[in-house]
Amino acid sequence: MAANVHDAAPVAHHFNNLQQQHDAIRLGIWLFLVTEVLFFGGAMCAYTAYRIWFPKEFEAGSAALNVGIASVNTFLLLASSLTVTLAVRACYDGQQKLVQFWLGVTIILGSLFLALKAREYYLDFEEGLVPSRKLVSPQQSSMIGEGAALAAPKYAFVQSLERALHHAGYPTEGVDLFRVQLFFMFYYILTGLHVIHMLVGIGLLGWQFFLAKFGFFRYPARYIYIEVLSVYWHFVDMVWIFLLPLLYLAGPHHFGQVISGLQQAFGLSQ
Amino acid sequence: MVESPHHDHNAHTGDIHEVASVTSSLTTFAVLAMLAILALVVGFSNLGEIKVIISLTVAATQSLVLSLFFMDLRRADPLIWLVASSGVFWVGLMFLFIITDYLTRHIAVL
Repeated sequence: MAANVHDAAPVAHHFNNLQQQHDAIRLGIWLFLVTEVLFFGGAMCAYTAYRIWFPKEFEAGSAALNVGIASVNTFLLLASSLTVTLAVRACYDGQQKLVQFWLGVTIILGSLFLALKAREYYLDFEEGLVPSRKLVSPQQSSMIGEGAALAAPKYAFVQSLERALHHAGYPTEGVDLFRVQLFFMFYYILTGLHVIHMLVGIGLLGWQFFLAKFGFFRYPARYIYIEVLSVYWHFVDMVWIFLLPLLYLAGPHHFGQVISGLQQAFGLSQ
Repeated sequence: MVESPHHDHNAHTGDIHEVASVTSSLTTFAVLAMLAILALVVGFSNLGEIKVIISLTVAATQSLVLSLFFMDLRRADPLIWLVASSGVFWVGLMFLFIITDYLTRHIAVL
């Protein structure tokens, strides 16, 4: 029957044996990851140069971020790294149902990460923490009163950042608030690239889940694909491990902000 | 048409590589979670300028544990080790030359 065609792991004609084929697949994913390291490395190198030039601005930008969501997301990603490893083990043992289960759990954990990340972007946008050259007229600013007509227009970003930093209890003296936009450019680009990698990972996990669910593959014959996928997923986790201290924990923070950040995320704050 | 009994993994996967046991994976996860807690403790502390150095050291340790145990680099072939270490080497070169260049120029804007 056709179903049995996949029982044995097929060896492509250009390989001598399955071992050589597996070694080539592993080499392929690691070569790909080297290009990824250089890709993220380039962005982080630019970050390093600017942070050395403008340390106060970077710390101020970091102080305005939601560390509650970032902390929870760290553990969600670590847990998903564990579950994808358990999927590889299940695959190796030929336990088809367990492969599906652990792939499914990994997809759920990854999606939870993305849902929280989306919520975080929404809150950032709502707070006005988006780089722009938009000006707010004095009537719209908080200086409504007698002298309002004389007040100069202000950058919308600066006004929003002032509010966010005041809320975080961060002193703004000596900080060029307009330049904090530089930090936010890095924040959006680095986290955005990470999100794209997460989406690709979830897509690939979903595809393997589909294949496992409908019995296209008989494990453990095809376990190498799950192994290679797990290596990619771990790499995405590794990128986050560096983004956490560089973006979220660069400024002064305290544990209380984890609670207040989560309250804000779930709409429980005022 | 052979039904797959699972007494000999290598015969089925056609691969001499071993895969981490469930216990080993759970241990790795526990270590990584501890390091993540440490990263947060450092991040929420008031260590001043050396905070970033300590944070990045913790992150590098986490990456090492992750790559050795979860990505299974410890059982990988010498060729994979060569590829992985060349990645670290190249990214190191990139940082070295770009940062030394930028920091020894006249400061950009003041």
